[in-house]
Amino acid sequence: MDVNKDSNQKAWLLFLGCAVPYRVSSYEISTRKVLAELDIKLVEMPEYNCCGLPIDPIDHEMMLILAARNLTLAEEKGLNLVVLCPGCAGTLRKVNKKLKESKMLREKINSYLKETGREFKGTIEAKHLLQLLIEDVGLEKIRSAVKKPLFNLQVSEHMGCHVTRPTGAVDFDNPENPEALKKLIEVTGAKYVDYIDKSACCGAPIAGVNDKIPLQLTKEKLIHVKDAGAQALITVCPFCHMMFDTNQPRIERMFNETFKIPVLHYPQLLGLAMGFSSEELNLKGLRVDPTPIISQVSDRAEGK
Amino acid sequence: MVEDIPRIGVFICHCGLNIAGVIDVKEVAEYAKTLPDVVHTKDNRYTCADPGQDEIRKAIKEHKLNRVVVAACSPRMHEPTFRKTCAEADLNPYFFEMANIREFSSWCHPSTPKEATDKAKEIVRMAIAKARLLQPLKEIEVPVTNKALVVGGGIAGINTALDLAEMGFKVFLLEKTESIGGHMAQLDKTFPTLDCSICIEGPKMVDVGRHPNIEILSYAELVSVSGYVGNFKVKIKKKPRYIIADNCTGCGECKEVCPIEFPNEWDMNMGVRKAISVPFEQAVPLIYTINLDHCIECYKCVDACGARQAINFDQEPNEVELEVGAIVLATGFDIYLPYDNPLYGYGKYDNVITALEFERLILAAGPTGGKVIRASDGKKPHSIAFIQCVGSRDLKKYEYCSGFCCMYTLKNAILIKEKYKDEVEVYILYMDMRTPFKGYEEFYRRARNLGITFIRGRASHVIETPETKNLVIRAEDTTLSQPVELPVEMVVLCTAAIPKADAGNVARILNISRGMDGFFMESHPKLKPIDTPVDGVFVAGACQGPKDIPYSVSQGSGAAARAATILSKKKWKIEPIVAEVNTELCRNTKVKCGICAKRCPYGSIEAPENQPAEVITAMCHGCGTCVAECPADAIIQNHFTDEQISAQIKTALKDNPEGKILGILCNWCCYAGADLAGTSRFEYPPLIRPIRVMCSGRVDRDFVLEAFKLGAGMVLIGACHLPYDCHYISGNARMKARMDALAPMLQKLGLSPQRFRVEYVSAAEGLKFAELMKEMGIQLKELGPETIKRENAMLKPILEKMLAKKQRKSK
Repeated sequence: MDVNKDSNQKAWLLFLGCAVPYRVSSYEISTRKVLAELDIKLVEMPEYNCCGLPIDPIDHEMMLILAARNLTLAEEKGLNLVVLCPGCAGTLRKVNKKLKESKMLREKINSYLKETGREFKGTIEAKHLLQLLIEDVGLEKIRSAVKKPLFNLQVSEHMGCHVTRPTGAVDFDNPENPEALKKLIEVTGAKYVDYIDKSACCGAPIAGVNDKIPLQLTKEKLIHVKDAGAQALITVCPFCHMMFDTNQPRIERMFNETFKIPVLHYPQLLGLAMGFSSEELNLKGLRVDPTPIISQVSDRAEGK
Repeated sequence: MVEDIPRIGVFICHCGLNIAGVIDVKEVAEYAKTLPDVVHTKDNRYTCADPGQDEIRKAIKEHKLNRVVVAACSPRMHEPTFRKTCAEADLNPYFFEMANIREFSSWCHPSTPKEATDKAKEIVRMAIAKARLLQPLKEIEVPVTNKALVVGGGIAGINTALDLAEMGFKVFLLEKTESIGGHMAQLDKTFPTLDCSICIEGPKMVDVGRHPNIEILSYAELVSVSGYVGNFKVKIKKKPRYIIADNCTGCGECKEVCPIEFPNEWDMNMGVRKAISVPFEQAVPLIYTINLDHCIECYKCVDACGARQAINFDQEPNEVELEVGAIVLATGFDIYLPYDNPLYGYGKYDNVITALEFERLILAAGPTGGKVIRASDGKKPHSIAFIQCVGSRDLKKYEYCSGFCCMYTLKNAILIKEKYKDEVEVYILYMDMRTPFKGYEEFYRRARNLGITFIRGRASHVIETPETKNLVIRAEDTTLSQPVELPVEMVVLCTAAIPKADAGNVARILNISRGMDGFFMESHPKLKPIDTPVDGVFVAGACQGPKDIPYSVSQGSGAAARAATILSKKKWKIEPIVAEVNTELCRNTKVKCGICAKRCPYGSIEAPENQPAEVITAMCHGCGTCVAECPADAIIQNHFTDEQISAQIKTALKDNPEGKILGILCNWCCYAGADLAGTSRFEYPPLIRPIRVMCSGRVDRDFVLEAFKLGAGMVLIGACHLPYDCHYISGNARMKARMDALAPMLQKLGLSPQRFRVEYVSAAEGLKFAELMKEMGIQLKELGPETIKRENAMLKPILEKMLAKKQRKSK
């Protein structure tokens, strides 16, 4: 079937992964709102499975099979994948590239997929939300969809690691000096605030093994964000978001600090600039109260 | 033609255990005995050693041998040795053939000794098959112009020029910039003795300037080189200085009145120079230059120069042509400026500088008068950290170790400590401290005793504190297994030495190759470190790889000695492996053909209308491209004739052809890459039967057809990388064009595409060759002998017809 024929909208298959629907649903809710506004039609894929990333250190081949199965689902529908979680996106992109390039590997993985009647053909692309926004929607189109520019709102970003990594496979932006999210923030009219260790780790990969070290890393970054004068921090990864938002009260208690820095998913920020209400973007779903910035945004927007 | 009956002697080398440890040498020797025309076989522990060579010489006499085959290492290693041995026993050296059973068998198949022995037997068999058809050849002599060109006036080139001049040869010293001196003239002190750099180099520069046998061509560039060993023709373009060199006294009165200043590249753009000036006071030749990009043409300098009349704004670039017998490249290196590394903040943070910039800061004659100060506030820093291996030893940038950075970092650290004592804290972040060579370790110890803090670990990140412009370095101290945060007031990045930006262009002009690292490739990493594959062209100093001063000086002198081996002779002998036209078969007499003349990379063939084509022997480099291109098979390449190569093909595919890969590999890249795979002991399946040709341009499509006719499992043509790596300029491109046409045809006839491959493997890509062999091995197995036989049966009649047609035509 060809979904694209039905309308002027471009259709993408939405790959949710595990963490987004279970732990940061506001990321999904806000994404759906803003993409609809940008003429991107999202098609559901209820039959998807784990992207494979968590299993990679234990069984590399199993990771390849899991990722490949997801890719075949998209091939079947003839649609490209848009992925919200950078971990999933990096894995799907990596495996897609590897299987497209190596006939030997492709044949091996296909020999397993055959059991479920599937075959990897290498006909589609997988992209993270940021890559879709930059490469397929384009900054100009986003700029024209901004109805209430967030002038005077000062925000910082934490882009996380997997949007650009693994470097050879993802092939998007500069991993050591990323600019994609910066550009996307500036399009909303908000003032972009740089801080010193922007590209440092959020701490999430260590969480679960050790609690104190990751929270300390997150604390360091929050201090720098606060010192830089940012009113909010923008993320695009469910795990980064959990470190900065869900864990923020805990960090404050543990290190006797006060931050109160709201942490927004990028589509929430863009949604505000597009004029969506805080309910529509599920800002209530955030742990750190975003009211101070919401009131500022709407006040100013109405004032203009 | 010598119509003789071959009497072949086969000598099989143990190479200690290098061959005999894997291959059953006795078995190979016994086998060789059974082959046609073999009258004598012998195995030796080391054939290349004196006793081994002696055995060959004796056997030639005793057994009246008229062909010699040595089964040992690569012909790229010892072919010249054994040719000489044969000549000493009055046998024409071209009656010698080598079977490479070390690099191509024992070293790359250690865990399958039986298969390795079988492969060795077949390699020996192939060599014997070729040996039976060998013809005696006579070396060609050419006259020698006893002048030399040295390209690059750094410390290596200066030494080459001085040594050659002292030997009595005329030397042209070409320098791209305004003055000779190179990087050494930019440095403050030199390790490990802390002599002032310009104080020891300056006198040498003056010696060069004064030497009656040396002519400096400064502010000039290499345009083209043609000719061959002993007889090079070099074109050089001199850039206009807008100064008449003969009239300029170097007084500098013009500089005093010039109102314009611009950043001085010599000072790493930290200082300034006038629009009319010299880059530094000790410049040789001491001739001023006007930079028209900055000059406002106020003509104050013209007035100041007055009666000397040295200024001429109408100068144009002019080309000079030189004739020389040898060329030494000493073009040096560039320093990596890490603008592309966002983690260390070079170019973003004021107080992060490179080590070469630091040299200019601490140098008394530098832009700050020797004061180490920060760009942000002009104040002296109280703490300085040196970060080593910036770009070097980094898989993302330059894989190699730049070699001299540890030492110059120690030197700079010692200079700070001796100058400022405890006022400045000094940190060195290093990966490994590499201080071999004379006096270097002692120098390291001296630094340790001065209270410098050494942290073993690679810095991950440098962060600037915006208010103070101080810096924080994040790193792991691997000796303590702890992350460290180091606040300092200045960071010095010790960056990699990298190939000169125009190294690729120079390599192209001289037709020499570069390694994976981009530096010029020597002929052999150990035994010919100064030679290049082009006879008469040598390398010295850092253009071949990063080198410190003593090493560059020694290599400069070494290159002079190597060049002198040519320049000191009246005549030079050239290998007779050249092309010859069979005038009877040449069809240029009847139709307008001239394909050979068009395709010869060197323009060494003339094909006048209605006359047979003719090869200008002294210009022929012996690639064999014309031989493969000739539609009438009217050209032969001596020592690589169609008959010889086809005998090798037939012998290689005598038994079990379906299970084999027939490889025709070019001498300079793919064969050398395969040698490197052996030298590096990369193991791969023993399937390939290699045939060496000088250039892939020699590979006739008939060779491929014949191999498949005989049932070969796979055919590989191995060449130098496109577009510029070919040692014969464009032989590989000609081969590609030929094979691009052949491959689809074979596929149409039913040949699986993976069975015919053209691959480009450089001499540095041993690993690539081994991987290729593994990949092809898997594919061969996947196809299976049944499929191959089926395809072959289908192909055979068609191929036979195609080959027969050709033979009829040539008859």
